[in-house]
Amino acid sequence: MTAGDLCYLTISEAAAGLRRKDFSPVELTKACLARIETFDGRLHAFITITAELALKQAREAEKELHSGNDHGPLHGIPIALKDLYMTKGIRTTCHSAVLENWIPDHDATAVAKLQEAGTILLGKLGMHEFAFGGPSVDALFPAVKNPWNTAHIPGGSSSGSGAALAAGLCYGALGSDTGGSIRTPSSHCGIVGIKPTYGRVSRYGVVPLSWSLDHAGPMARSVGDCAILLQAIAGHDSKDPASATVAVSDFRAQLKDGIKGLRVGVPRAHWFDENKGTDPETEAVFNDALKILEGLGAVIVEIDGKPFSITRKANQTILVCEAYAYHEKTLQTTPMKFGTSVRRRMLEGAFLSAADYITAQRARSVLNDQIRANFSRVDVFAVPGAARPPEAFESVDPNEQNLRPNFTNPFNLTGLPAIAVPCGFTPGNLPVGLQIAARPFEEGTCFRVAYAYEQATEWHKKRPAL
Amino acid sequence: MAGELTLEDLSKMAARAGLKLAEDELQKLLPGVNRALRQAAELRQLVTDCTEPASAFSALKVDKVSPP
Repeated sequence: MTAGDLCYLTISEAAAGLRRKDFSPVELTKACLARIETFDGRLHAFITITAELALKQAREAEKELHSGNDHGPLHGIPIALKDLYMTKGIRTTCHSAVLENWIPDHDATAVAKLQEAGTILLGKLGMHEFAFGGPSVDALFPAVKNPWNTAHIPGGSSSGSGAALAAGLCYGALGSDTGGSIRTPSSHCGIVGIKPTYGRVSRYGVVPLSWSLDHAGPMARSVGDCAILLQAIAGHDSKDPASATVAVSDFRAQLKDGIKGLRVGVPRAHWFDENKGTDPETEAVFNDALKILEGLGAVIVEIDGKPFSITRKANQTILVCEAYAYHEKTLQTTPMKFGTSVRRRMLEGAFLSAADYITAQRARSVLNDQIRANFSRVDVFAVPGAARPPEAFESVDPNEQNLRPNFTNPFNLTGLPAIAVPCGFTPGNLPVGLQIAARPFEEGTCFRVAYAYEQATEWHKKRPAL
Repeated sequence: MAGELTLEDLSKMAARAGLKLAEDELQKLLPGVNRALRQAAELRQLVTDCTEPASAFSALKVDKVSPP
């Protein structure tokens, strides 16, 4: 096995190899660190590399596994974190000059849970500044590049998480998702990411963007790996006031149940053609994915996309108001510490009224009811992961999100679980994602559909030429 | 919403909000702010007098620990 092959193993494969003693946690960690050293100068996926800590944790994991003290499938697996997860004693920047030298004194709950599961921390990953705006081209740290084509954006805001996984720099990562920030980079980088149900994963210790829309979640190179990671971080946390007390099921147990007879709702009408419409190449790849699902026994049901389409307005109104409220003091005192893109988006919140914000939260109630009413006719929703392939940096339009349908916002506004899984490539060899959303707390259904699709296709096995 | 904001409106509102923004920055903000206000106005058409906001206070949440 080459070093590259070793770094591209799935978590399941690496866990099996560790237990067979084909390799050790130290060897996995050294292979990842060497690959980061080789490729990250071009990709900028990492902001902080914690090599010393990673090797220490790897040696401990090696001892524990040898002594039979096995913490489960993540024990000895090198991972990385979006740089808005607080890490005790490790700089947490949110990709911003505002927090350039901030070292938290405690870990986020999800980080602590991953540590308990025996993971090895390789470092902290680049992102859109404070998880908002566009690619952070004038922020303190360089913008993350897409491993499939470094002239193109990797999508955001969990850009480093998507790029690091696609480039084989780590085996799993955490992202966060307020309007699509896990699912967009997953789609643009050809990997898998799930935004769980609101309340499923603790937000404690995750620097907020918008309290009522923020979701923490995992990203990986396979559906099964995402299930393993979510299993480790899901569950009630009294430190998060929005944390749910709903029991966490065994996500991997449902993976192979198949999708025969499953009703897949496609909210195409009044949405896919909104404004400039969905990119034709993307929609063609999406339609092919629907045919695969149909071939696996699913029933495709076309439904009205109008309520889905309107969610963007409520999502954006709530987001800018909450983001401004959180950052108000810094925007008043040192606004130029923010990059241009994030500063201008956040400042919009200063000029909206309390009534505007409350109206958006009331509209959220209406749209939530309208969208969930579809569950009497369908079991899941299927939409593209993004309305167009990743743009070239030189042609990024900051208003792009208003020019095409936004396929991720509805599931932040409604809090429904949604997964993105690779479903093909454009003629320009840029990845396209398929998104599946399910009823609240039915992440297992998202995994089941995504797994069935993944196993019927080869897209997840493709690697970028670095 | 009564109408679109002007640069002068924005300047006064920024000062009232404690924001010290140069005129060219305000100029660049203006289209985005007006778009945000138009969006918020459109949302008013969706709600009725009976619609409560999605975020609601719960008196049952007693075990909350303040985040940092």
